[in-house]
Amino acid sequence: MLRVPMVHRFLLTLAVLAGLVAVPGKAFAHPHVWVTMHSDLLYAPDGSVTAIRHAWTFDDMFSAFATMGLSKTNGTFARQTLQPLAKINIDTLKDFDYFTYAKIDGKRMKDAFSQPLADYWLYYDPKTTLLTLHFTLPFKTPVKAKALQIEVYDPTFFIDFAMAKDDPVTLVGAPAQCKTATQKPPDINFPTTLRFDQALVTSEANIGMGASFANKITVTCP
Amino acid sequence: MSDGTNWRRMHRLMLSGAVAAGLLTVTAAGAWAQFGALGGMRPPPETGIFGWLLGQQAFFYQALAGLLHAAKSNGSAYWGLMGVSLVYGIFHAAGPGHGKAVISSYLLANEETWRRGITLSFAAAALQSVTAIVIVAIAALLIGATAKMMGDTVNDIETVSYALIILVGARLLWIKGRSFRSALHKVRARAEPAKAVTRESDIVHADACGEARHHDHAHSRDDRVHGEHARADHSRHDHVHGHHHDDDEEEEESVLPWGHAHGPEPEELAGPGGWRRGLSAIVAVGLRPCSGAIIILVFALSQGLFWAGIASTFVMGLGTAVTVGTIASLAVGAKSLAKRLSVRRTGYGLLMLRGFEVVAAGLVMLVGVALLTGYMASERMGFF
Repeated sequence: MLRVPMVHRFLLTLAVLAGLVAVPGKAFAHPHVWVTMHSDLLYAPDGSVTAIRHAWTFDDMFSAFATMGLSKTNGTFARQTLQPLAKINIDTLKDFDYFTYAKIDGKRMKDAFSQPLADYWLYYDPKTTLLTLHFTLPFKTPVKAKALQIEVYDPTFFIDFAMAKDDPVTLVGAPAQCKTATQKPPDINFPTTLRFDQALVTSEANIGMGASFANKITVTCP
Repeated sequence: MSDGTNWRRMHRLMLSGAVAAGLLTVTAAGAWAQFGALGGMRPPPETGIFGWLLGQQAFFYQALAGLLHAAKSNGSAYWGLMGVSLVYGIFHAAGPGHGKAVISSYLLANEETWRRGITLSFAAAALQSVTAIVIVAIAALLIGATAKMMGDTVNDIETVSYALIILVGARLLWIKGRSFRSALHKVRARAEPAKAVTRESDIVHADACGEARHHDHAHSRDDRVHGEHARADHSRHDHVHGHHHDDDEEEEESVLPWGHAHGPEPEELAGPGGWRRGLSAIVAVGLRPCSGAIIILVFALSQGLFWAGIASTFVMGLGTAVTVGTIASLAVGAKSLAKRLSVRRTGYGLLMLRGFEVVAAGLVMLVGVALLTGYMASERMGFF
């Protein structure tokens, strides 16, 4: 008959192996790109939300990566130079649902958004060396809800989103009674600045545990 | 035939089956957990050890960028850069990645030494570093490619790499499938003459499993049975079986008295030296560069520190190899335990070992298919 202890040892080794190989696999890749975002919610005169206008600023390493092979004019990347890149970004973002998810009164909207408007563009700040992607994401049908919740996150966690420190959300043309609240997850991985030359000093203190990284914007219009 | 021997055989079969099922579950669960992208509409849980691991990786990745900045004006930052690159590599390899899965499954399916497992890990990591450097050097320095062009190149390389993994897995599966079949034949062929003899005497059959407690009372008969069996086996399966000369054979010889009825081992099929055999796995795994390494290299280039980026990439690879090598050693350990288990058990044990190898070979192929079909998460290159 089989000698039990050796079988146990074997199974244990195998289990440890499977764990080492696989379980961290579940934890996804660590983020390679960090984005801080400003979002405007655009309202129609009848009080319904028609679109979200995003402004996403990328970290300096990714900004350098994204702009490779492009040539600067007068020390910066002109908007026309960046436009093909912006188009690729916007086209590809479709596959990721623009990382933007909407809930009405607690219920998730499926396929909530149509194509971004054609006025998207990338801006390069030569001082900070950071890229910012501007685009407007219209709702397929304008939303009138007591509670509208917008979540922005990358489910594969390649990109780590965080809301900007100041005025992350602006309501544009909203009825007076509407109020916004933002829920920022305690994201310990997010650098204190997108410029890593300055981040190094500060981010060490931030290592620890975090919660879910979905950034929630809630608008209530009672 | 008596109920007793029947029951004993049944019992043995059930036990083998249970162990095999256990192995299958553990390995399959391992493979399955790799399919992280499944139903991934929620952000990953960032608590516990995974959150910690992600935090470490993210921190070291950011620190790399920061140190690259610093290295521009401060020479001593290079040391920090190399240290952080090493640690980042170690942590990064602990994250999701097909390298570990393919290499460890490959080692489980093959007869490899500990040293070869380690060498395989280091070679794959070194190749991965070289690919990243070559891609960035050609793309950025020579042809002034954009991020999009580079992303496309990496995607193409990725496709080739995943297809290669499938090929390596398919070839292993073919080889191991044949070994399994030959082991199955052996078990069957042994059961048949034994059955015939049991009609003469129950005692002889009891010995067919080679257990010492039966040996004393049926030695001469048993030898005769095994001799017949070996002849039968050879005449029936000559087209399949070859002779091989590894240590496996010697051990089996001493335990399995019925001789030389073995399936061809991969060593034979790959030719002498056996390095070609490992090479396919190294290339399949090492061809696809790390997204992080590429982004860091481009960033280093933009800072005018390409050499620092290259050094950092190699040190990162070294760190990756440390982690993958550790996991590879475990795989080799598990395999040698499996072998020892099966060597003690004749017949069914060998069958189990071969079955286990088939599963491991199948896993290599499965991982390749999952990667190629995009079912299994792999690293992205941004959104270009």
